Amino acid sequence: MPVLSVRDLSIDYRTRRGPVHAVRDVTFDLEQGETLAVIGESGSGKTTLAVGLIRLSPRSARVTKGEIRYDDGKRAFDVLSLDPERLRRFRWADCAMVFQAALSAFNPVITIWEQFLDTGRAHGMGDKHKVHDRTRELLDLVHLDPTRVLRAYPHELSGGMRQRVLIAMALLLDPRIIILDEPTTALDILTQRAIIDLLRELRGKLGFATIFISHDLSIAAELADRMLTMYAGRIVERATVDDLFYRPRHPYSVGLMRAVPRVSGALGSVASIPGSPPDLIRLPRGCSYYPRCPFHVDECLQQDPPLLKVDTPEHEAACIRWEAVAAALGSDAEAPVAEKLA
Amino acid sequence: MSGPLIELDSVSRTYTTPAGTIKAVDDVSLSLGESETICIVGESGCGKTTTGRMLAGLLRPSSGRLLFEGADVWEKKGKDLARFRRAVQLVHQDPYASLNPTRTIAQTLAPPLAKHKKAHGRAARAAMISLLERVGLTPPADFLLKYPHQLSGGQRQRVSIARALTVDPRVIVADEAVSMVDVSIRISLLDLLHNLATEFHVTTVLITHDLAVARYFGRKGRVAVMYLGRVVELADTESLVSDPAHPYSTALIAAIPEADPTITRTKKRVPLKGAEVPSLLNLPPGCVFHPRCPLSEPGLCDVVVPILGNLPGGRSVACHVALRERQPAAELLGVR
Repeated sequence: MPVLSVRDLSIDYRTRRGPVHAVRDVTFDLEQGETLAVIGESGSGKTTLAVGLIRLSPRSARVTKGEIRYDDGKRAFDVLSLDPERLRRFRWADCAMVFQAALSAFNPVITIWEQFLDTGRAHGMGDKHKVHDRTRELLDLVHLDPTRVLRAYPHELSGGMRQRVLIAMALLLDPRIIILDEPTTALDILTQRAIIDLLRELRGKLGFATIFISHDLSIAAELADRMLTMYAGRIVERATVDDLFYRPRHPYSVGLMRAVPRVSGALGSVASIPGSPPDLIRLPRGCSYYPRCPFHVDECLQQDPPLLKVDTPEHEAACIRWEAVAAALGSDAEAPVAEKLA
Repeated sequence: MSGPLIELDSVSRTYTTPAGTIKAVDDVSLSLGESETICIVGESGCGKTTTGRMLAGLLRPSSGRLLFEGADVWEKKGKDLARFRRAVQLVHQDPYASLNPTRTIAQTLAPPLAKHKKAHGRAARAAMISLLERVGLTPPADFLLKYPHQLSGGQRQRVSIARALTVDPRVIVADEAVSMVDVSIRISLLDLLHNLATEFHVTTVLITHDLAVARYFGRKGRVAVMYLGRVVELADTESLVSDPAHPYSTALIAAIPEADPTITRTKKRVPLKGAEVPSLLNLPPGCVFHPRCPLSEPGLCDVVVPILGNLPGGRSVACHVALRERQPAAELLGVR
């Protein structure tokens, strides 16, 4: 039973030039306790989707259609039809969001303790002592010293410590879903590693489901169970983490996998994706990846292809040429894309 | 080619802050030949940007010398100094901040061509077109009249590189030049910089926090790993990533998440003793890495500062234990 079911979600931004179709017909399920990674270039719609899920989009954004169904077994509702008060409660109690650990994620003039207290009060935790006990427990859980951190102001903490505090704060109301937007970007390698290990540990202990948005494929490789590739506002591939990394079937996923060099193993034939993403106001006819795609044929111009079942029932790709992609990558199942194409 | 083209000769740089004096770079020596590629990698605060700025002659070392073709740059004057300024160019990290938003690409590229008497008028236009072609902005004529805001991050970074090329530099220092552009196009920018080294014999220094980027870019060159102001390891790129010699490089490589689920989930970790990087204001005595190092030996590592020494295979490492055992730390730690 999925905790979140998104159906045909479409989000536009109003601009002077006309509507930008930032998210188009997005459909996916998030199962209890699973980790889903959304990957894509900047402008692919992944952040619009993430903030759209908790309706935090800027004013210029408009949901043109779709449904976001939340169901934790006790309560079920469509997030899009919540009134402002119920939406406010949904936002932290059921579904929390962790942003990049920038200073701007905090109120700079109050201590960490006051930030926790504010959050708790806004969600009806009236008993200060209860909030305090829970906060100390959570800070312990993210391996911070509560006595030291609670008294500190945000600027007094390092980037890694701030990210841990943000994660602890997201857990304050025991949400079933946590959305992470670039959780380790701008952190140093050893700190990044510590945060990844922490997220894995917390997920195991607390069992929440995670959606994370990252342009960094290595974080997805570390943590994801399943993955979605987004391109020009649409989901173009849906697969398990191993299928997407070793057996991608959409040429765009292949391109992304091939664009990232590794430190271990063979370098392979690393290459960038030529061209740039399409104008989301005037989308091209047919498949929006056509102009950049090495596999394209004339037929690709006839329609924007729907998600097609490939290889296994859990694997879908929006590409009529997926068999040609499979043939080009060959049958060596476990090798990374850059090596197969070398 | 006889002798190095550009050289840092045991340079240090200190800064005075209200909280005390910090040594951002401590006794770094690097020597680069013509058309060589080198990457300087390290985490924030390791001194890699300060080192790059000293190499580009933008920052005067507190001690030590910057040598260009064997002569001390900070002793140079007049025409001689201007020649050095032309020869070494910097490409900045942020292509959104490094281009003047009120100037078209032509207005950005023409002044340096004129100032350094490379080309005027109609010849300038031809020179700009050939520069834009060289950095892969085609058709070039379309770009001349565009403003930076009309370009993508990657295209802007190509303009930055074209601007650096206006004066036919012999050295390019690129500080995190690809970290702000999209993953999907980083490789093509790195290829562009790499071609400058191979085809036009430009010495290229790439400063990056991303070892995967360093590995790809520096695959035919060397990597210097910095930690808290010092170079702890200097080696050719492939031996560094496949068999790191310094415990810090080893820990770093072991910790890097990689875009490959099997590799990244089965990596052997190096258990460090402490997670926090010491403050530059209060550096530990002896080896600056000793408080976190699993190989640290009391009485040696916490007392004596290790200097960069040679290991077999043409690599240098600043680690007492690795040098004494004549073995890379990766083997001593059982990571390989």
